[in-house]
Amino acid sequence: MTSTRPEAPAEHSAQTASRRRPPRSLTPVEMAHASVMAALSSALAILSVVIPFAGGLSLLVPVPMGLLGYRYRLRVLLAAAFAASTVAFLIAGISGFMVVLNCAYVGGATGIIKRRGWGMPMVVVAGTVLGVLNGLWIIAILIVLERLRTLVFEAMTANVDGVVSLMSKFEPFRQAAADVRAVFGLALQYWPVLIMAYSIFSMMVVSLVGWWALSRVLERLRGVPDVHKLDSPAETGQVAPVPVRLREARFRYPGADHDALRPLNLAVEPGEHIAITGANGSGKTTLMLLLCGRAPTSGSIERPGAVGLGQQGGTAVVMQHPESQVLGTRVADDVVWGLPAETHPDVDALLEEVGLGGMAERDTGGLSGGELQRLAVAAALARQPSMLIADEITTMVDQAGRDGLLEVLSGLTEHHRMALVNITHYDNEAQVADRTVNLSQSLDNMAMVGSAAAPVPGHAPAPHSSRPVLELRGVGHEYGAGTPWAKTALRDVSFTVNEGDGVLIHGGNGSGKSTLAWIMAGLTAPTTGECLVGGRPAHECVGDVAIAFQAARLQLMRSRVDLEVASAAGFSPNDTGRVIAALATVGLDGSLAGRRIDQLSGGQMRRVVIAGLLARWPQALILDEPLAGLDAPSQRGLLRLLTDLRINTGLTVIVISHDFAGLEELCPRTLHLDRGVLRSSGPTP
Amino acid sequence: MPANPAPGPRGAAILGADAVSPARQRRPVVLLRPVPGTSVIHELWAGTKIIAVFVISLVLAFHPRWIPIALMATLVAVTIRLAHIPRGVVPSIPRWLWILLLLGAVTATLGGGEPVLHLWSIDVEVGGLLKFLRITAVSIVLLATGALVSWTTNVADVAPAVATLGRPLRPLRIPVDDWAVALSLSLRAFPMLLDEFRLLYAARKLRPRPVLPDGRMRRRRWAVELVDLLTAGVTVALRRADEMGDAITARGGTGQISAAPSGPKKADWVALGIIAVVGLAAFFVEIPGPA
Repeated sequence: MTSTRPEAPAEHSAQTASRRRPPRSLTPVEMAHASVMAALSSALAILSVVIPFAGGLSLLVPVPMGLLGYRYRLRVLLAAAFAASTVAFLIAGISGFMVVLNCAYVGGATGIIKRRGWGMPMVVVAGTVLGVLNGLWIIAILIVLERLRTLVFEAMTANVDGVVSLMSKFEPFRQAAADVRAVFGLALQYWPVLIMAYSIFSMMVVSLVGWWALSRVLERLRGVPDVHKLDSPAETGQVAPVPVRLREARFRYPGADHDALRPLNLAVEPGEHIAITGANGSGKTTLMLLLCGRAPTSGSIERPGAVGLGQQGGTAVVMQHPESQVLGTRVADDVVWGLPAETHPDVDALLEEVGLGGMAERDTGGLSGGELQRLAVAAALARQPSMLIADEITTMVDQAGRDGLLEVLSGLTEHHRMALVNITHYDNEAQVADRTVNLSQSLDNMAMVGSAAAPVPGHAPAPHSSRPVLELRGVGHEYGAGTPWAKTALRDVSFTVNEGDGVLIHGGNGSGKSTLAWIMAGLTAPTTGECLVGGRPAHECVGDVAIAFQAARLQLMRSRVDLEVASAAGFSPNDTGRVIAALATVGLDGSLAGRRIDQLSGGQMRRVVIAGLLARWPQALILDEPLAGLDAPSQRGLLRLLTDLRINTGLTVIVISHDFAGLEELCPRTLHLDRGVLRSSGPTP
Repeated sequence: MPANPAPGPRGAAILGADAVSPARQRRPVVLLRPVPGTSVIHELWAGTKIIAVFVISLVLAFHPRWIPIALMATLVAVTIRLAHIPRGVVPSIPRWLWILLLLGAVTATLGGGEPVLHLWSIDVEVGGLLKFLRITAVSIVLLATGALVSWTTNVADVAPAVATLGRPLRPLRIPVDDWAVALSLSLRAFPMLLDEFRLLYAARKLRPRPVLPDGRMRRRRWAVELVDLLTAGVTVALRRADEMGDAITARGGTGQISAAPSGPKKADWVALGIIAVVGLAAFFVEIPGPA
C-alpha cells in the first residue's frame, strides 16, 4: 500500500477481550497522521505569521490538511483541525488561529474533492461557497463586537484623515485627497459588502493555490513507500501470548518474488531471554511482525491466547527509532501514555528500574537517544507484558547508551515473569541471552558489528601538503544570548585542519558537535571567535565546505537522482556525462541516474548526497553521523569509499560521531568534545 | 529518524538563533518554552490560564474602553511581576516596526478630532491619536496575555487541561478525548518538525544559486523548486507519522495522556475568583463621556 491511495474505512480496530474502544474513535494510524499533519500545518502557519514578509507560506498550509482529507475520513480532519488551530493559537495568537482554521477547511475541501475525483470547476464552486460562509461569519462577529469595530474604524478614519490633510496642504494633490476621503467614507459605510467581496476573493485564491499545490505533491508522493509496520490484529479471547511456537512458519510479502522469512521453527517459553541475529534481509523484522500477530504465509503459529499488543499481560514492543517512539512530552506522562484510564502503575519504581530514577518531571525533548530508549522500555514494562520484543533498539544509540540499555535488558527476565526476544546485530548483546537464534543461512561472522575501543593510530597517513583548510580560533557559541534560555554550546574551541586530513570529532549527547559542524560549514556564525575557510570567514563562503547531514532524505530535494546531483553541484541535468562521473566517484552505477529518490535505500541516499556535494570540489567534507542506521556491510563499504577518496584525491574529511567503530583508518586524528570544550587534540586520544 | 538532526537546545524551538551576522546578537523568538524557575503563576493549572486568556480577550473585544484596558493591563502587569519574568524574554523589536508605529501615530494626530489640547499656544487635536493609542494598547495587552501563558506554562500540561476543560462538551457528542490526544501528539511532534525545517533551509542554503534564463522559465523553475521543497517536507512528516502510528499500536491504542490528574487546586480557585471580579468590574464600571 503506497501512501497516496485513499484508505478503505478500517473495519476492525482492536476489539480484543480486555479493551473495547468506541467504534467511531480514531485508529492509531489515523491519530498519528492527524497529529503530525496538524503539527506541520501549524508550523507553516506560525512561521508565516512570526517571520516578517513570509506571509506567502500560509498558502501552503492547506496541503497537509488536503492530504488528510484525501486519505482519511472526516473525523480525522476535524481532529487535526482542532489540534492545529490550538497549537497555532498558543504560539501565534489569534492570527495564527485564523490562518490555520481557514486553511484547514480549504485543505479539507480540496482533499475531499480530489478523492471524489471531481475537477477544477468543483474547486471554484467550493471556494465561492467557503468564501460566502467565511464572510457571513466575519460579518456576524463584527456586528456582535460593535464597540471594537467602531474603534477600529475610527482609528483607521483618523489615520486616513491625517494623510488626507497632509496631502491637502500641497496644491496638486488637493483633488486627489478629497477623492481618497470620499472613497474611504463610502467603503466604511458599506463595509459588509467589502468584507464579503474580500472573503470570496481570498478564499478563491487560497483554494486554487491549495488545489495546485496538493495535485503536484500527490503526483510526487506516488511511489513513496509506506513504512508503517505494526497492525493490531482483530482477535478475541484471553490475552496470553506465551509460550508461542512457530512450526515451519514462512512469510512472503504480497507481490514479492522471494520469502522474507524462510521456514522457521522457533519456540519461546515464558521467562526465556532469546537473542535473534542475522544479516540484513534475513527476516528479523518479519519475525517480529509474526510474533506480534501477523499471519504467516504458510506454517503455523500456536499461542495459548491472544497476542494482546500493548495490553496488560500481553506483548510489548520497543522499536528502533528513539524519538518517534516516545509519545509524551514529560517523562512520567510517557510511561502511562495509552494505558486505560483505570490503570495506575508505579511510575517512579519503573523509572528507577530502567535507570532513569528521579527524572519523572523532565521534558522528553532534552533526553539522549539511550535515555529515550530506556524510557520506551519503562513504558513497555508499565503494561506488565508476558513477552517483550526489542527490535534493534540499540542501533541508533551511542556507545554509552548501548551499555546502559544492555544493563537494563539483562536484568529484565530475572525481575519479571516475562519472555524477552532481543533482535540485534551486536555480539555483546547476543552473549547475555539464554540462547541465540541465527536467521542467516551461512554463519556470517562478518555481519556482526563489534563495539570498538578508542582508536590507536595505525599506519602513517599518506603524505599530503600542510596547507590549512579550516582554522578555528577561540570559537564559542551561545544560543539565545540575552534571554533566560541562554545556553552555551561551545567554549573556546581552537584547532586547525590541513588539506588531506581525516579528523573525527567525537562527543556524546549535548557536547556541541552538531553546532561545531554547522559553524565549520558556515551555516551559523559563532558568537565569539572566528572560523576561517581558506583564509575567509566561513559564513561568507557557504558551500565551500560541504556538509552531509545525518538525515539524508532532507538533503535530497529533487525528484530524480540526476536532477538532484546536478542541482547540488550547480550544472545542468542534461549534462549526463558529469552526472555519471559524479555517481561513479561514490561507487554508484550510472544506471541509477534515472531512478526516483524515494526508491533508493538509506545507504544509496547517503551516497547520492555525497556525490552531489563532491561534484562541486569542496574544500572539505563534513559528515554528521555517516554510519547511523546502516547495517555492517553498508558501513564498511561507505568507510572504504571515503578512505579511498581521502588517500587518493586528498579530500579533507571531518566526521562527527558518537562512535569509534571502524573509523580509525578514515580518521587518524581524533578530537574529543565534552560539553562544548575540546578535551584533547592530536593523533592519540 | 536520527535522534538529533539539527543543533540547538532540544525541546526549545528557537528562531533566529543562527542569524548569520554576529555583530549584534538580536534576542531571538523562543517558542513553547516556559521561563526557567518557578513562581505562583507557574504552579497554576494550565486550564486557569486558558480561561484567563479567554476572559481578558472577551472583555477587551466587547469593551475596548480606557477603564477596561487599564484594568486588564494592571492584571497582566501584576501577573508578570508575580511570575518573576525577566526583561530578556521579550524578543528584539525590529526597527521597521517602530517606524510603522511612529507613522501611524503621526497620521492619526494629523487626523484631528476632539478633545483638544492646548500646548504653548498651539492647539493640538488629539482625538485621532487617542483612538490610535487605544487600539495599540488593546493589541499589546492581548499579545502580553498570550505571551504570559506561554512563558509560565509547561507544554506537557496543555493537552490534559484541554481534556478536562472539554469534559462538559462530551454529551454533545464531540470527541473531546480524541481531540486532546491529537493535541498532545501535535505538541510532541512540533519541535521535531521545526528542526527538520531548519535542516531543509540549511541544506538549501548550501546549494549554489542556479543560473536561470529569464521570464517564464524562471517562474516555472521556481514553482518546481517550491513543490520539491514541500514534497521533501511532507515525505519526512509522513515517515514520522508512520513511525508514530507504530508506536501507538505498540502501546495498544490511545488512553491516558498524563500521569498526574489535571484539575484546579485551591490557588486556582482564588485566581479564577480574582479574574471574575476584575472582568465584571471592567464590564460594569464606566465613566460617562466620550468613548
